[in-house]
Amino acid sequence: MDRTWQITLMYFFIHLGLIFFLYPGDVISSTNDGHWLPVIIGFMVHLAAITVYMKGLSFIGRRDIISLYLEAGKGWPLLLLLPVTVYFLLIIIITLRYCAEMMTIVFLSNTPLWAIMLLFLLIAAFIAIKGIGTLLRTGVLTGMLCLPVILLFTAASFQNVDWRYIFPLADGFAFFTDSDFYQSFFAFAGGFLFLGFLQPYFTYRKKNIFIAALVLLPFFLFSVYIPVLTFGQATASTFHFPFIAALDSINLSWLMFDRITIFFFLCLISFTMLFLTMVLWSTIRVISRCIPVIKPSYLTFALPVLIFIACMAIPNWEDVKLLFEWNSYLRFYVVITIPLSTYFFGKRLQRKVDCHAAD
Amino acid sequence: MGFISRIKEQYAVSDDFFILNDYLLETPVILMGFNSLMDWTLTKQNLQTYINTAADTGLGLEEFRTVLGQVETASGMDKASAGLLQGKLIIYFEQENSFIVMDTVARTLDRSITPPVNENVFQGTLSSFTEDINSNIGILRKQIQSSHVNVSSYTIGSEETRQLTLVYYEGHADVNLIEKIKMQIEQNKHQQIDNLQQLSQRMMGFRNWTLVPNLNQTELPEEAANFLRNGRALLFMDRLPVAVVLPSLLWDIFVLGSDRHMPLPLMMFLRALRVIGVMLTLILPGTYVALVSVNPEVLRIELALSIAQTREGIPYPAIVEIVLMLLILELIIEASIRLPKNIGPTITMVGGIILGEAVVQAKLVSNLLIIILAATTIANSTIIGLQQSLSLRIAKYIIVILAAIYGVFGIMEGLVLVFAYLSSLHPFGIPYTSIMRCKKEVNHG
Amino acid sequence: MRRIRRTAGSLLCICLLLLNTGCWDNRDINHRSLPLVMGIAYHENLYQIVLQIPEPLESGISLKILTQTGKTINQAVDKISARMESSVDLLHLKVILVEKEYAQLGLSDSITTFMRSREISPKALVVICDEKLDTFFEHVKVSMAPKGTTLYDSFEKNAGWNPQMALTRIWQVYRSIHSYTRDVAIPVYKSGKSGTIDYTGSAIIKNGRMVGQITPEETLLFNSVNGLGTQGKIEVMNNASVLILSNSTRHRSRLVHNIPYLDIELTLKVSIVETKGTPTTKLIKDELQEVLLQRFEHLFDKILASKADILGVGQYFRNKLPRSELSHWRTDYLPRMKVKLKVNPVIQNEGNLKLS
Repeated sequence: MDRTWQITLMYFFIHLGLIFFLYPGDVISSTNDGHWLPVIIGFMVHLAAITVYMKGLSFIGRRDIISLYLEAGKGWPLLLLLPVTVYFLLIIIITLRYCAEMMTIVFLSNTPLWAIMLLFLLIAAFIAIKGIGTLLRTGVLTGMLCLPVILLFTAASFQNVDWRYIFPLADGFAFFTDSDFYQSFFAFAGGFLFLGFLQPYFTYRKKNIFIAALVLLPFFLFSVYIPVLTFGQATASTFHFPFIAALDSINLSWLMFDRITIFFFLCLISFTMLFLTMVLWSTIRVISRCIPVIKPSYLTFALPVLIFIACMAIPNWEDVKLLFEWNSYLRFYVVITIPLSTYFFGKRLQRKVDCHAAD
Repeated sequence: MGFISRIKEQYAVSDDFFILNDYLLETPVILMGFNSLMDWTLTKQNLQTYINTAADTGLGLEEFRTVLGQVETASGMDKASAGLLQGKLIIYFEQENSFIVMDTVARTLDRSITPPVNENVFQGTLSSFTEDINSNIGILRKQIQSSHVNVSSYTIGSEETRQLTLVYYEGHADVNLIEKIKMQIEQNKHQQIDNLQQLSQRMMGFRNWTLVPNLNQTELPEEAANFLRNGRALLFMDRLPVAVVLPSLLWDIFVLGSDRHMPLPLMMFLRALRVIGVMLTLILPGTYVALVSVNPEVLRIELALSIAQTREGIPYPAIVEIVLMLLILELIIEASIRLPKNIGPTITMVGGIILGEAVVQAKLVSNLLIIILAATTIANSTIIGLQQSLSLRIAKYIIVILAAIYGVFGIMEGLVLVFAYLSSLHPFGIPYTSIMRCKKEVNHG
Repeated sequence: MRRIRRTAGSLLCICLLLLNTGCWDNRDINHRSLPLVMGIAYHENLYQIVLQIPEPLESGISLKILTQTGKTINQAVDKISARMESSVDLLHLKVILVEKEYAQLGLSDSITTFMRSREISPKALVVICDEKLDTFFEHVKVSMAPKGTTLYDSFEKNAGWNPQMALTRIWQVYRSIHSYTRDVAIPVYKSGKSGTIDYTGSAIIKNGRMVGQITPEETLLFNSVNGLGTQGKIEVMNNASVLILSNSTRHRSRLVHNIPYLDIELTLKVSIVETKGTPTTKLIKDELQEVLLQRFEHLFDKILASKADILGVGQYFRNKLPRSELSHWRTDYLPRMKVKLKVNPVIQNEGNLKLS
C-alpha cells in the first residue's frame, strides 16, 4: 500500500521531536559563533545518509533491510543488525529517561519519574502492539493537533530576538574537536532508520522524504538561533535546554494561559513519543525476525518491561549523559554502515535480478 | 404423524391460531392462519371472489390452485411454518397431502413513514426508516434512482428467522469490502441475531469489547443514500428502523450528507464546529483538573486567583469534584431519555436548579466547574450520532483521570492514547480514521 | 464468564488509577499560596524575604504580607511556607522587588537562582526599591486597595506602566550578567506621599550590579532609542507638550583605530497636545530636538561613567569585532565610544485645532 504522505509526515514529526530538546544545547556549546556551520554540516551528513539509504532501498524493492541483511550471508546480520538493535535499545532508554527527567525539571516537579516513564512506555507499547499502520495514523492525528501549536510558538519565539546577536558570523572549524558537536548528531542520526523497515507493509515515494528533509532545515536553524538571538551566545550556553528557556521569555498577553512553554513542550514530547514508538516497533521487528523462536507478542510485553527496569537503574542525570556519550560511537557506526550496506547489498541484489532477467 | 396434527401440536396452544374446514370448488380443504397477522374477514371475501370467478369461468381445481399460489407437498413443515408466521393463509388439501401458501390481506402492523425521532434534520429530507424492511428499501430506492444499487437479501437465524438485506452501490463500493461482508453473512447465516451487538459480533465478527461503535447507523434515508454513494454498504434488518452503515468511520462524527445543501463556507464552518466540539469535550474537564490541581502555573494570575476564590471551602480535590458532577450530568442525560416526553422537562428543571444554583451555593463545587461542565455537555452534543457521542463521553473520563495524575501532560498523552485507539481500529481492513469517498480512494485511506 | 472477568479487570485498573491520583503531592489551587511580589534584601549575610500573598476569601481577596530571613532565599521562603496554613508556590511570582542596597552589592546570585528554579517564571519583572523593604510594604499594606494584583499592576506593561519607566524581566537581567555587550536598566520605586508608589528613575545595572541611576526623562529617551513602544508619552517643553505617536531609530556604526563611532538617528512622530502662547511648528521641532539632545548627552555621560552598556550600543559592533575582543567591550571600547545622536521630529498632526 502506498502511504507516502503518512510516512513523510512521520519522518517530519519525528525529527521535529528530536530537534528542539537536545540539539540546540549541543550545538551552542560546541561552538562560540557561526552556529550555522555545524548545523549545515550536520544537515549535509544527514542528507547524504538519506540519499544513499533511499537509493539502496529503491534497489531492494518490496523487502525491508532485515531480510536484506539476513539474505546477505553469514556474519553480516551479526555485524549490522546487532549494533542496530543495541543502538535502538540505548536510544529508547536514553530518550525515555531524558524526557522524563526534563519533564520533572520543567513542569512536573511532584510526579515521580517512574510514573512518567510508565505512561510513556504504556502508550508506546500499546501502539507498537497494534502495528505500524496504527502508528502512522496516530502520528498523523497527533501531528494535526500539535503542528499548529508548534508553528505558532516557533513564530512567537521571535518576539525577543535581537538580530545583532547573529554576529560574528563565522569563526573557523574549531567545533570539529568538540565532543558536543558529535553529540548533536543525535538529532540527525536516529530518526531516518525506520524508513528501511516499512517496505513489506507500505511503499512510499522516496522523493518526498527529501522534501521533508529540506523543510526541516529551517527548524534546525531556528532551534539553535532563537536562543542565541534572544540571549546571546554567552548566556545561551549556560542553559541545559536553551530553546525552552527562550520560549519561556515570550510574553503573549492575548493568550489566556501564562506559561505557554508547556504547550509547545508537550507537543514536542508527543512527537518524541512517536519516535520512541517507532524505534520500539523497529527493535521488536529486528529481534523477532532474527530470533524467530521468540513470539513478537511476548516481545512487545517483555521489551518495555526491560526498558523500564533499565531506565530505573540509571541513577542520575550525569549517567544519562555518559550513556549518551557512549551511544555516540554506536550512532556513527550505524549511520555510516546502514545506509552504505543497504546501498551495496541492494545494488548486488539488483544486479542478480538483472542477470536473471537477462537469462 | 400427519401434517395437520403436527401443525396442531405446534400452534393450537395459541389462541390467535385458527384452523377451519372449508370447501374449495367442492373439494374439502383445511384453512389455517393467524388472526393477529391477517385481516380474516377481508381475506375470506377475497377467497370467495376467487372461487366465484373460478366457478364462472369453469376453471378446474388444478388450474385454480396455481392461481392461488405455489403448490407444495406437505412433507416438510418449514415452508408452512414460515408462511404462517409471515401472516399467510395455508390451504391444505387433505386428499393430495399438499398445501398452498396464499397471500392475505395483512393487518397494518407497521407505522407509516414519519419524520425521524432520534436524529434531527436540518434542511434535508424529512422521512425516516420504519420497521418494515421492504418499505425501507423502497424509500432508499426512491432516494437513489440508479440501476446500480444492488440489494441482496438473506434469511438468517435457525430457530427464529429474520430478514437481513445488504444494499450497496455497484461501481462506488469497493468490491473487496462487499465480498468480505457477503462472506461474513454467508458464513454466519445460522446465527440468531436479535440486536446490533449480536450483528456486529456474531455476524460481522467484530470484537465486542470496543469503545467505538463498530456499526454506524442512521435513520435518515438521505444520509443512507449518501453513505451508499460514498462507497459504504448498508444493512437492513427486519423490524429495525435504522440502516446499519458498514464500515463505520471517524469521519462520520463530523460529516453529515445534508451539510452539502449549504454553501461551501457554511458547510466548512459547521464541520469545524463539530471538530471543535469533539476536542472541547475531550479536553475541557481534563484541563480543569490539570490546571486546578497539578499545573496552576499555566493559568494567568487573575484567573488563578478567581478560581482559587471559587474553590474556597470545597472539601475534596478537583478530580472528585469533577467526577461527581460529571456523573450527575450523565444521570440527567440518561433520565431525560427514560422519562416520557410530558414529564421530561421536570428533569431539565430540577437538573438546572441543582447544577446552576444549589450545588454552588452549598459549596460543593466551584462555579467555574459548572461553566466547564455546561460547555462540555453542549460541545458533546454537537457531534453526529448518539452512540459516537456516548463513546466520546467515556473517552473524556480517561483524560480526566490522566490529567489528575499527570496534569497538562496527562491531557496530551490521553489525547494521543485516544488517537492511537482510534487508529488501531480497522473494520474490514479499512482504517477507522480514513476518509472514504469513492472506490478509487479507498486504497489510499 | 470472560466478559465478567474483563469487566472486573478494567474496573480494577480504573480503581488503581484513581488511587494513584492521590499518590503524590498534587495540591489544589486553593491550598496553595501564590505570592505575586517578592521583596529581597540582604543584610549581614542573611536574606530578608518579603512575600505579598493574595488570600482568596469568599467575599474577595485580602493581601497578606509576610517576612522572614534566611541564609538562602529558599530557606526564607520555606520558613514562610511553614508558618502558612497552605504551602507557598512561587509559580506565579510576577515581581521581584530588590532593596537598593542589595542591588548595589550585586544581584547575580539571586538572579541565577531564579533562572535555575523551575518555579519562578523568567518573565517576572525586576524592580528596585529605594527604601527599606519593611517601610515600603507597610506603606503598600496601609494605602493600597486590597485587590489581588495591586502592586504588580503598577509595574506591568499593559496595566500601570508608562514609557518613562524601564521594564526589565529576570531573563534580561540574567542576559546582562553574561552578555558582553548588553546591560539593563531597572526601574526604581519608593513609597509616595498620597497613597501611591512613586517612580524615581531607573537604575543602571552592569553585570547584575547597580552602578548608577538615570532620571525618568532619560529613561524615556532610553526606551525610545531601544524602540520600546514609547507611544502616548507627553514630552514637556517651554512652549508645548507633545505626544509621541511612534518612534524609530537607525544606527550606523564604524570602528576607526579601535575607537567605536556610532550615529543614531531617532525619528519621532509626535502630535501636539498642549501649547503655551503661539509657537510655530518649527519652534516646537527645534525645541524638541534641543531637549532630546541635551538629555541624551546626560544619559550617555552616565553610561560612560558607569561603563554599563544599557543602550546596547555594543550590539552594533558585533560584526566589527571578533568574539575575543567583544568580551572586553565594556572596559576597552565603551569608554572611548563616540556617539552622535540626530533627532528627527515629525509633527504628524496638531490635534483638533489648527496651529495658528
